[in-house]
Amino acid sequence: MSQKVDVAIIGAGRMGQIHGPNAARHPDLRLKYVVETDASLAGALAAQTGAAIATLSDALNDPAIRGVVIASSTDMHLEHSLACIKAGKAVLCEKPIDLDLAKARAAAPAFEGARFILGFNRRFDPHVSALRDKIAAGVIGNLETLTLINHDPAAPPPAFIPRSGGLFKDFTIHDLDLAYALLGEPPAEIFATASCLVDPMIAELGDVDTARVIIRTKSNKLCVISNTRRSGYGYDQRVEAYGSKGMAATGNERLDAVEVWTENGASASPIRPNFLSRYMPSYAREMDHFADVLVRGVKPSVGYAEGLAALAWAEACAESARTNAVVKL
Amino acid sequence: MQKIALIGAGRIGRIHAANVAAHPELQLAYVIDPIADSAASVAQSFGAKTADLDGALGDASVAGVIVASSTDTHLDFSLRAAQAGKAIFCEKPIDLDLGRAQGAQAQFEAAKARVFLAFNRRFDPNFRALKTKLDAGAVGKLETLHITSHDPSPPPAGYIPVSGGLFKDMAIHDFDMARWMLGEEPNEVFAAGAVLVDPEIGRLGDIDTAKTILRTPSGKICVISNSRRSGYGYDQRIEAFGSAGALRANNVVESTVEAWTENGAQADQFQNFFLDRYAAAYKSEMAHFADMLVRGAKAQIGYADGVAALALATAAQASHVKGLPIAL
Repeated sequence: MSQKVDVAIIGAGRMGQIHGPNAARHPDLRLKYVVETDASLAGALAAQTGAAIATLSDALNDPAIRGVVIASSTDMHLEHSLACIKAGKAVLCEKPIDLDLAKARAAAPAFEGARFILGFNRRFDPHVSALRDKIAAGVIGNLETLTLINHDPAAPPPAFIPRSGGLFKDFTIHDLDLAYALLGEPPAEIFATASCLVDPMIAELGDVDTARVIIRTKSNKLCVISNTRRSGYGYDQRVEAYGSKGMAATGNERLDAVEVWTENGASASPIRPNFLSRYMPSYAREMDHFADVLVRGVKPSVGYAEGLAALAWAEACAESARTNAVVKL
Repeated sequence: MQKIALIGAGRIGRIHAANVAAHPELQLAYVIDPIADSAASVAQSFGAKTADLDGALGDASVAGVIVASSTDTHLDFSLRAAQAGKAIFCEKPIDLDLGRAQGAQAQFEAAKARVFLAFNRRFDPNFRALKTKLDAGAVGKLETLHITSHDPSPPPAGYIPVSGGLFKDMAIHDFDMARWMLGEEPNEVFAAGAVLVDPEIGRLGDIDTAKTILRTPSGKICVISNSRRSGYGYDQRIEAFGSAGALRANNVVESTVEAWTENGAQADQFQNFFLDRYAAAYKSEMAHFADMLVRGAKAQIGYADGVAALALATAAQASHVKGLPIAL
């Protein structure tokens, strides 16, 4: 049994509360520090995981710390990543890499050779990765078109909208990355159209809550992305991949597998209500991958380049929706 | 018994002939087709006579005419029937030329024509049930709509040049479905087409794959997915996303048998192609035509609906060619 590798986490908010315990319970990792400016959040996560509370510089200056999980607020992702890389740490960073494409792009030299995982968690979802494996194995022939359905259960609080970066950078970015991962080809053209149908407040804040995107790749593969901030029926997360020999699809998970038949018809339990319920296994698998990078020298499967590309495509979506024109990349 | 004349004794004509013959209020009187053998075969199967168009239209006892001829003749035959005072059951599309179809509208109105444009999918029991639930507010207010329409395999290459292209030939069903479900006229179309199935289709100037987005003035969005070849059967689905949930009409399977083994689960195929999948719809649309003839029912889908669907198909084609959204 090799010794556990020490890691620190920056951020003890919503995502930190997922990644912190995942790191702490991982057989290859030990969560040594929690770095968080909010003392009560820091205290709660430290108590839960057995980690100590530390400042960023203390954590980065500790040579025992080999890896850092970045789960701070979006506007700090890039700065924290650069500090960790400079200190020689491997990084698992939450998406998005930043909301400012130029700023993210300018940081490229620092990421060269860095061990950096960008947490596009859906790539790590067991259903999605099984689908990807089956496509790669040729079960549906050549992949031709793709439909990604990503509907949130309910709109975020209005206060989140102005700092979210907008629907495309905050939300669609997951689908843009997944489209790339599944199509195996970047978009060559993007057309996006958006509406505000869920909550007029979102429009007042300058954002949209409903969108459809069509991606065309260089080889003319087509992908449709469907987004809404409020489904009314749970967290709808589906992928349909259409190939030359068939279709492969992932459905939604339900809260339980019970179905009931009565004289009123058939009923099933609701689909999973939110991302915490739906994607917990993906976060655990993400942490497995981080441990593989730290302990076994595995190369990160998704990193800075993918984060930068997805951000650029999200900006292209926003531009397309704004100008009502196809954006060529 | 209302007497019916059928123009066109091809694949779809034979379906309609059988449904007329099976209907208690309708009688197939005449079958008209330039291919004498086809006309004779259908006429013989369903107790009708073969005739020429003038003969059938000149028979005052003929109440209704079914136009199931080749697409390029739909408009002319419908107009002839209208001017002869017959009620018309016309196969989709009304025509391939939007200007011509729009131009003829006044003539149909002048003849006070009763035209039923037979977009069969509106009569599919599954899609109709979805629409009923949608209208009853089962999922709140409709916001977005997905229509999936993938053919099992492409038509013969010889059909492509006369088809009018994927949008007017195939997606036109979905444009009509979108108009019906949205309850609002789309005012913008963006279509991305591609040749992914068969390069021959591309050489013939058409596409075989398309994803189309429609927008309405109130901001509703509809996505239509089309392919000439699914590789897994006739994929016909609708999903309607509302403010309080979603409705979904799935594919109809050949049988409900599922087999589980250590290799996993295996379900039966989707019903194969439109003659099977939409058999109930064809029967139901004939019942509607009988209602028009016997009880004076108003056509649920009229000439203007045919023109509106053709306008969307024409705009989608333009959008695909230009790479721009097209306003209507």
